[in-house]
Amino acid sequence: MRNKRMFVLMLVFIVFVAVMGFSIRERKNLSWPENFILDSSAFVQQWIYRPAGYVAGLFKDLSNLRNVYEENEILRKTAAEYARASITYNRIEEDNARLKEELKFTQRQKELDNYQYIIAQVVAASNDPYNTTIRINLGSKDGIKPNMAVVTDKGLVGLTSRVDPFFSSVMPITDLDVNAPDTKAIAATVLGKENNSFGMIESYDKDTGKLTMSKIAENDPLAKGDTVITSGLGNVFPKGIVIGTVDSRQVGDFGLTNTATITPAADFDHLTDVFVVKVPESGADGQ
Amino acid sequence: MSIQRIIGVMLLFFLSEGTLFYWLLPDSLVGRVVPHFTLAFVLFASLYRGRHTALVLGLAFGLLQDVVFYGRIIGVHSFAMGLVGYLTGLLMERKRSTLFMALTMIGISTLVYDTVVHYIYRVFRLTDLSYRWALLHHILPSLFLQVLFALVLYVPARRWFAGSIKKKSEDQEE
Repeated sequence: MRNKRMFVLMLVFIVFVAVMGFSIRERKNLSWPENFILDSSAFVQQWIYRPAGYVAGLFKDLSNLRNVYEENEILRKTAAEYARASITYNRIEEDNARLKEELKFTQRQKELDNYQYIIAQVVAASNDPYNTTIRINLGSKDGIKPNMAVVTDKGLVGLTSRVDPFFSSVMPITDLDVNAPDTKAIAATVLGKENNSFGMIESYDKDTGKLTMSKIAENDPLAKGDTVITSGLGNVFPKGIVIGTVDSRQVGDFGLTNTATITPAADFDHLTDVFVVKVPESGADGQ
Repeated sequence: MSIQRIIGVMLLFFLSEGTLFYWLLPDSLVGRVVPHFTLAFVLFASLYRGRHTALVLGLAFGLLQDVVFYGRIIGVHSFAMGLVGYLTGLLMERKRSTLFMALTMIGISTLVYDTVVHYIYRVFRLTDLSYRWALLHHILPSLFLQVLFALVLYVPARRWFAGSIKKKSEDQEE
């Protein structure tokens, strides 16, 4: 009797270790029970998350009422600037298109930068401090695939990690960890110095709330206050998405390269609407 | 209340954990105060229903938590919740529990649960954070919430679980 119980206990323990080890690796497709649970739970969760968000947002708006005038002023100024910038932009874009035509760019090359921003609503957020997954209401039926960038209007939030038919999970960049077996580093560069600057965003320090960018060359022009964006090298993540601003720069562990501390641009708490960045098919397959 | 009803209530609380409760928290407390509502029910089950019910409930709801928020690994919460539910049941089955005893047990069990979860993440190298940091950062703040939650739910939960025994006292063996 005693032995049998011990045996069962050992068996359960082994099964759990096997399941954990199995689930930790990269998985492209989920099994149907997982898909079923994910979809049905998210379907219910979205009816709670969004109304709760609206109510909370209402209270926040009421307390922000005083700042509205000031904000309005700033927005008006920005709108005027935008109008001016869009004229310049249109001219440059036309020029660019004409030049591409003259230089005989292929269709694939032309489509490369034509990203689609698909809006998604957040339906739930995990509370587990070691795994802060966010669930959004777009799935494989909407063309979402694993490892797509997810952004807000402020900057990069994370990457889609698990995709089921109608909903998907987003791993925020706050879960990046250089030592973890499932780590995904993001190739990054600096806005305005795209050709001279390069580094990898590898981990997030939960203690300080900052990202670490490593593998920066010693003669790299990156400096404090610069805006860090994705570089698009490797064709996994689209280029030009704001990640954050450089906080400080240090000599790295081995003295050969530098590391930089980066303050993330996006807020990770209490998200309601996010955008999934869809890279055109022909471009994404080329890696 | 029958066990099916209790499972329904637990599902409701589980769904509110990732949605409604998340919005009730101010920005600064997200990730610091972690609700363990389903765990509280599992522990009530182990106090008033016996260790086997708690084991099954713990495994099932832990697995639900794992799958619904599947980011990196499946099975951590399932394992920890089942283990804690079973152990609490094993310790407390023969004793009559008072309010104070129940709250203490729930507090200790939640602490054990968080510790187990932390060390599993450490074993699989999914986190580098020290236990001391985790303890101060989120385990102790969430413990307060958990004890408060258990205190609020003590009377109804006790009635629900005790009621489910009385109804099934003849064929309670499962």
